[in-house]
Amino acid sequence: MAAIPGARASERARRPRLFERWLQRRTRLDLPLTLAYRQIFILPTRFGWLLAILMGAMLIGSLNFNNNLGLLTTFIVAATSINTMLLSFRTLRGLVIRRGGAVPVHAGQAIDYRLAVDNPVERPRSGLVLRAGDARNVFSVAPRGSREVRLRLTPRARGWHKPGRLRIETTHPLGLFCAWSWFEPRAPVLVWPAPAADPPSLPEQGEAQLGGRRSPREEGEEFHSLRRWREGDPLHRIAWKASQRHQTLLSREFRRERSRHVTLDLSLAPGRDLEERIRILTAWVLRADADGREWTLKAGERALGPARGEAHRHACLRALAET
Amino acid sequence: MKRNAPHLPTSPVAWTIAAFVLSASPHLLAMPPVLSGLVLVAAGWRLLAAQRRWRLPPGWIRILLSLSAIVLLAISYGGLWGRRAATGLLCLMLGAKMLELFRVRDLRMVASVSLFLVTTQFLFNERLLYIGYLMAGVLASVCALLAIQRFEQGNQRAPGSERRILREGAMMLLAALPVAAVLFLTFPRLAQPLWGLPDEVMDARTGLSDTMSPGSIAELYADDSPAFRAEFEGGPPPPGDRYWRGPVLWNFDGDTWERAFLPSRTPTDLVPPGSNDYIYNVQLEPHERRWLFALDYPVTLPENARISLDYQLTARKPITALTQYRMRSNPDPIDMPQLPETLRQLATRLPADRNPRTREMAESLRSRFGDDRELIAHVLDWFRQEPFYYSLETSPLGRHNADEFLFDVRTGFCEYYASAFAVIMRFADIPTRVVTGYQGGYWQSGGEYLLVRNSDAHAWVEVWLEGSGWTRVDPTAAVSPQRIQRGASSIAEGRESLFDMAWLRDLRNRYDRLQYLWNAWILGFDAERQQRMMRFLGLPDISRTGMALIMAASLGVIVLVVAWAWLRDPRGSRDPVRRAWLRLLRRVGRRGLAKRPSETPLAWARRVAPALAGGDRLVEITGLYNDIRYGDRREESLRRRFTQAAGAFRPEPLGSRRF
Repeated sequence: MAAIPGARASERARRPRLFERWLQRRTRLDLPLTLAYRQIFILPTRFGWLLAILMGAMLIGSLNFNNNLGLLTTFIVAATSINTMLLSFRTLRGLVIRRGGAVPVHAGQAIDYRLAVDNPVERPRSGLVLRAGDARNVFSVAPRGSREVRLRLTPRARGWHKPGRLRIETTHPLGLFCAWSWFEPRAPVLVWPAPAADPPSLPEQGEAQLGGRRSPREEGEEFHSLRRWREGDPLHRIAWKASQRHQTLLSREFRRERSRHVTLDLSLAPGRDLEERIRILTAWVLRADADGREWTLKAGERALGPARGEAHRHACLRALAET
Repeated sequence: MKRNAPHLPTSPVAWTIAAFVLSASPHLLAMPPVLSGLVLVAAGWRLLAAQRRWRLPPGWIRILLSLSAIVLLAISYGGLWGRRAATGLLCLMLGAKMLELFRVRDLRMVASVSLFLVTTQFLFNERLLYIGYLMAGVLASVCALLAIQRFEQGNQRAPGSERRILREGAMMLLAALPVAAVLFLTFPRLAQPLWGLPDEVMDARTGLSDTMSPGSIAELYADDSPAFRAEFEGGPPPPGDRYWRGPVLWNFDGDTWERAFLPSRTPTDLVPPGSNDYIYNVQLEPHERRWLFALDYPVTLPENARISLDYQLTARKPITALTQYRMRSNPDPIDMPQLPETLRQLATRLPADRNPRTREMAESLRSRFGDDRELIAHVLDWFRQEPFYYSLETSPLGRHNADEFLFDVRTGFCEYYASAFAVIMRFADIPTRVVTGYQGGYWQSGGEYLLVRNSDAHAWVEVWLEGSGWTRVDPTAAVSPQRIQRGASSIAEGRESLFDMAWLRDLRNRYDRLQYLWNAWILGFDAERQQRMMRFLGLPDISRTGMALIMAASLGVIVLVVAWAWLRDPRGSRDPVRRAWLRLLRRVGRRGLAKRPSETPLAWARRVAPALAGGDRLVEITGLYNDIRYGDRREESLRRRFTQAAGAFRPEPLGSRRF
């Protein structure tokens, strides 16, 4: 199980181990999680530091000139800053992160990670930011409301992934302080293998057909679709009623019933290495599903099917991801 | 941070520009109009650019504009030194920043430097009115920061959001006041400045200068602002004694009177206390020079001050902030019973080639009167009898200025009289010096203090007489006695006739009483007053570290209180219906029948109803709630029915009955 690279592995490696351990102790990482005093960190933002420097200049100048109104201004600004620190903290405190999860995607695609967040108090919370690495999403929660926050994570490899350490932060209300909490949802996210870009056609009759020879389309008895009339189409194929409606000649196309069973075997799939074979197999599974065929997947000792449909596809993709 | 967002929406930009223009307004008023116009044009351009989505101008235009503005500023202030020039430069830089205000970071920078601008304004003026300026400037900056943050959070398009920003900003400002007040009262003050202020920095010319050439006080006459206030223990001195000594001038080159650099007196060399002493507190407005004003002759010295041989009080540092000091003056002693020969020479020296007619007159008087006192009385009589006029409308005098004034023009004010009189005296070989300072003042009967305005500036003469030492002679009093008796405003004929109404004067004096309290309690709150406050609270003398500890402790307490107020969970909604509903949910929830987040109210009521006695009633009440909250029924009667029903509902589990 790997962490998603988006979570800045390099930065974490740089952090001293002692600090890391302190962080581990201090943060409750699993969900559901109610953010409380111990989970919330707060530091001035860069702008906060800038204002602090400015206030220092104001303070020293006013003290030196013995200028009480200048001092008063400085103190009002300082007091406002203290208040914003409390408000930033308040924006996070008590927030409940209930659960996170995502619909599986293929490697290389973006995970649409969803986090359920509750606001248990009678006070709106705005300016919350959920982030992992560079991915961020700004959201707010209504008083006593809940909402689902989405985050786009980009995994590169197949398999089960932990979403890694996510960060929920806010600089509300003036951008002077950044309050944040870390958490690591334990529930992993499934990433299917990426399908091969240009896979060979399905191995008919359970045998892998090397070389990508396309089987000729045969006509069957099953009605497939209407298409524009072409020269050579027999008269009885013409769909007269539809043609009249569309003011052009349409003919009915029939295809052979596509439920011919196919066996997809990882060990028999073409490809230079395991990963490529898995990608090809993934593409086959998708193709077989799209064609509405029935298939059996053999990956190592596991054999799935024969079956068809979405549930079977998901099971197969999951098996391929876990292989 | 959205770094490369080229088009910021109007709201944060407008708030930021408002904060900047508001904070800069006093500075802009003090700047040459060309420059402040440039700054305003830049701000206006940026505002239009936000609305019309213009792009930022090319770099060379911005650099060219900023550089030429800075050059203009340097020319008009004669360099970039001095506070006015420095704040002007800051305003110009921010004006130039307007042309490249296209990032969130820039907006924040401008909004926070606006706060700095507000502070710098108080180096020039700390009057009561400016508390409004302070609040408005800080409020606008906080609102700007709120608007910027709102933009960054991506919800800037909420309806009515500008008013909400204003309200939120006002709330933040109000909430900041307790902590700010504690800091203000407990922050350790410096008894001494950290670094000295070079005199070149002082460029706002107000108050008396250290030289006098006839005509120089005239500008002060037009200045009605207070110079200082004096609070007397016991009544005020009679008008004839209200001579506040400022610079004493010895050297005259024919045009200008200047100070002589005389040695300082040691504290032991001061006048002894007497029986008719005046004891008073002076609240001196900042005038950027070193003079401290006192009645003759100081018995005590304020802190950080020294006194020269001619009883001229000077502070060690220029007075840049409101300064309070306590004085005791003994009017009776004789100043210098014996005049040293060097001083006699200094006090009788005149340029020989000036004022031949005056010289002739003085020499003829000298031959007529052997006694100095008789001679002086004669000259004063002459002033009284000849057609001399007191007026602020004067014409410039030439090389022989005493001649021209005494024999041709005969119209002028105190400086003319003092200077010409001193020239006569010196030609008659009587040791003479000119004293500038303030004379008179307005007695605030309600506030029990004497208000001395800049327009009360005055110049008089002191002559040294055998037996009575340096003796004050005020030739202006001979010409215009009411100037001395009733104050400068009584003789400024016609100058203010349009505005000189009794009620207006009354209003102004009332305002000054507020200003006085403001000065005493806010501006004059210094290390000494802080100590006094601590003593009042029962704490003995406290060192600076002790004060810092007290500050930390009280700050901790007040922040805790504020934090409690902020962080306390809201007691519930302000809507009574919602409140009643939440109470109902809590009550039923205590029975283990809490509503799950996924349930709608009605689904919950139907689920738990079978477990409760009167469950149908709960469903009914919930239906009512649904109607009010999610339907369009807003009648007051329905709302009241719901709150009553919900309040009366007691969830009793089935089977447990109370008897």
